[in-house]
Amino acid sequence: MSRKSQNSTRVSRRTFSAGLGAAGIVAGTAPFNIVRAQGTPLKVGVLLPRSGYQAGIGQDCQRGVDITAGILKDMGMPPLQLMNADTETNVEIARSRAEKLISEGAQLLVGAFDSGQSTAIAQVAEQKGIPYVINIAAAPPITEQGYKFVFRNFPTAGMILGGAFAAQKEIFAASSSVPKTAVFLHVNDTFGTAMKGGIGAVMPKFDMPYKIVETISYDPAARDLSVEISKAKATGADALIMVSRLNDAILLTRELVKQRWSPMAILSMGPGWYEDQYLKTLGKLSDGPLSFVPWYDPNKPLSKQLEAALAKAHAGVNLNTNHVYTFEALLVAADAYKRAGSTDPKALADAIRTTNITNNTSPGPGILFDAKGQNSSLKISGIQNRGGKLVTVAPKEAANAKAEWPLTPYDKRA
Amino acid sequence: MGGIIARLFGGIPRRGLILLGVLLLALIAAPLFAGSYLLTVLILILYFAYIGQAWNIMMGFAGQLSLGHALYVGLGAYTAAALYVHFGIGPWIGLLVAVPVAALAGAFIGFLAFRFRVGGVYFAILTIAVAEFARVGFDHLTWTKGSAGLFLPVAQYTHNDLWNLRGHPVMFYYILLTATVLALIGCRALLQSRMGYFWQAIREDEEAARSAGIDTFYYKMVAVVISAGMTSFAGVIYAFFYNNLFPEQVFHISRSIEIILGPIVGGVGTLFGPILGAFILTGLAETLSATLEGLGIDLPGAKQVFYGICLLLVIVALPDGVWPWLRKRIGLTERGS
Repeated sequence: MSRKSQNSTRVSRRTFSAGLGAAGIVAGTAPFNIVRAQGTPLKVGVLLPRSGYQAGIGQDCQRGVDITAGILKDMGMPPLQLMNADTETNVEIARSRAEKLISEGAQLLVGAFDSGQSTAIAQVAEQKGIPYVINIAAAPPITEQGYKFVFRNFPTAGMILGGAFAAQKEIFAASSSVPKTAVFLHVNDTFGTAMKGGIGAVMPKFDMPYKIVETISYDPAARDLSVEISKAKATGADALIMVSRLNDAILLTRELVKQRWSPMAILSMGPGWYEDQYLKTLGKLSDGPLSFVPWYDPNKPLSKQLEAALAKAHAGVNLNTNHVYTFEALLVAADAYKRAGSTDPKALADAIRTTNITNNTSPGPGILFDAKGQNSSLKISGIQNRGGKLVTVAPKEAANAKAEWPLTPYDKRA
Repeated sequence: MGGIIARLFGGIPRRGLILLGVLLLALIAAPLFAGSYLLTVLILILYFAYIGQAWNIMMGFAGQLSLGHALYVGLGAYTAAALYVHFGIGPWIGLLVAVPVAALAGAFIGFLAFRFRVGGVYFAILTIAVAEFARVGFDHLTWTKGSAGLFLPVAQYTHNDLWNLRGHPVMFYYILLTATVLALIGCRALLQSRMGYFWQAIREDEEAARSAGIDTFYYKMVAVVISAGMTSFAGVIYAFFYNNLFPEQVFHISRSIEIILGPIVGGVGTLFGPILGAFILTGLAETLSATLEGLGIDLPGAKQVFYGICLLLVIVALPDGVWPWLRKRIGLTERGS
C-alpha cells in the first residue's frame, strides 16, 4: 500500500550509497559529500492507520502529510521522498509495514497516531537503527524504553492532563468569576475511563478552584442523554467537565438546549467539542465550549502558512492536531537531514537529538528533544469555538483571543 | 514409538509426505533467504496457521462455532506479560499459568453453554459476549495498566534469549514454526484418536452421537479446553513479540474474525486447511499490496476488500474450503489430511 510521491528521482539506497562512496574517493573531502547528499531526497516512510477503525483520523493525518512538500520547500528544506503505508489500525501490520518500508530503502520513519502501533514500529526502527519520529501517540512508556532512534514530538498523557489544568487556571486567573463546582461527565469507553483515572490522579496537584460534585459516565453509543443532563443540571454545578466523543458531544449540547441549562463553562478534555463536524452540525449552538488539547500556536508564522496550505488543499477543513503534529514530524525529518547532510541513519538520529526548531507550529518554545527522545517542552492549549472557527485562549503566549466567559446562555444567542 | 509414528503418518500418500517434507524444509530454510519484511510476513502466516489449527479443534472437529477466540489470545498474552512485568517470571513459566487460565475460561464458557444446551448461533454469541466482557474488564484492570496499555521492557537484539523470549524475529519465527508443526501433529493424533471420532460424530449429528452413548458434554468440554489452552500459547508469543498489549486491540472482535478466516478459506475440519488458509490470505494480501504499490495505486483498505472477495469466492465456489479441492487435484485423497 505504498505510494512514492513528490519527486521523480528514483535512486535506490544501494546506488546512492555507491555513488556517494565514489564521490568521496574522488573528492576526498567531507563537505563535498554533504553537497551530494542534499541533492537527493531523503526517503521517509510515513505509517498511518488509513483503514480500519482509526481510518478517519489516519486520513486526516494524511492531509497534514500532503500539504508538507510545498511548505518545506519554501522553508529551504531539502526534499523528502514520501513512502506512504497503511497500518490498517493493526499492531502486526504496523510492524510488517515498517519492515517493508525499511527494506524498500526508507531512511527515516514517521507515524503512527496510535500508541500500540507506534510501539511496534519503534521496535523495528530500533532494531534496524533507523530514526523514527512519532507524530501522535501519548503512552509514556514509548519513550521510557531507552531507545536511541525513537523520538516523539507529542505530549505524553501526563503532560496533556497537567497542561489542561494549567491552561484552565490561566483562564480563571484572567476572569472575575470562576466555577466553584463542576460535574464530570465522561464516556465509559477506553479513552474516557483512562481520562477519568488520570484526572482523579492529576487534579489534586493543581489546587483547582472548583470541586467535582458528581461524576456521571455514559455509553458512547447512547442515543439519548437526557437523563445524564437532568442529573447534572440537578446538582446546580457551575461547570461541566467533559471527556467525550463527537456524536455524544452533539447529543449533549442539544440536550443542554432542550433542558434550558447553560452552565458557566463547558471544559472539554478530549475530542468532540471542537471538531469540524460539531461546529457544522450545531452552528451558533456550538459556540462557547473550551477544549484543552495538544494544538498549534496560531501566532507563529508557520501556523499561518500551514493553515493557508490546508485551506487551499482542503477547503472547509480547520487545521487541527492531526495535521499539525504530522507536519511537524516531517519537519523534524527534513531539518535533521539538512543539518546532518547525510542519509546515514546514525547521522540523522544524532541530528534529531540536537534538534532546536523554533520556527514551528506547536505551542511552546519549539521542537527539541530530551535525553529520552521526548519533546517535553510542548504546551497544551485552551481553544474555544467562535462562529464556526476555533480561537486559542491559552496559554497566553500562544493565544489569539481572550476567553469569552462565562458561556453565553443558549437561549440568548442571536 | 515406531508404532505411534507409523500410526501418525500411516495412510498419508507417499506424494503427500514428500510435499510436506519439502514444505517443511523450505520453511526451515526460509530465514536464510528471506529479508526482514518477508520474515515478518512469514511470522504472521505461522501465527495465524497455528491459531487457526487451535480454533479448528473446536469448530472443525467438534462442530462448536467460536467467534470469540481473541479471548484466549488475550488471556494468554496478558497473564504471561503481567507475570513478567510484575514478578520477572519468564514466559515459559508464565505459560504454565497462562494455559490453565485460558483453559479455565474455555471451560467456563463450555460449561455454561453445554450444561444449559446453548448451541449453534447462541453458543457463538456467548463466545463473543465473554470476549467483550474480558475487553471491558481488562480496560479497568489496573494491575495490567487498564486501557493505558501494558508495555513489556524493551527487547534486546544483541543475542537471543530464548528463556525470556527476548531476541531477534528469527527466534520467534522458529518458535512459531515448531508450534505449528507440533499443532499439526497433535491435531492429526487427536483426529485419529477415539476422542477425535467422537468429536466428528458430535459435529455431524449431536443427537445421534448422544444416542450412540457418547458423552457429548464431556467431549465438547475437552475440545473447548484444548482449543483455548492451545490458543493462549499464541497469545504469549504475541505479547513477547510485540511487547505491548491494549485490551481494545487484543480482545477486539475483529481479532476473533481474523483468526477464523484462515481455516474457513483453507477448509474447516481439515488438518492442513488452516495452514493453507493462512498462507493464502496473508500471502496473497501482501502480494496484492505489492502489486498495487508497483502500479502506483494507493488504496487503503484494499486488503479488507480482498479478504471479502476471497470469502465470497470460497463460499460460492469451494464451500468446503480450498484444501479439499486442492487435495483432489494433487492426488492426496486420504481422509482428514
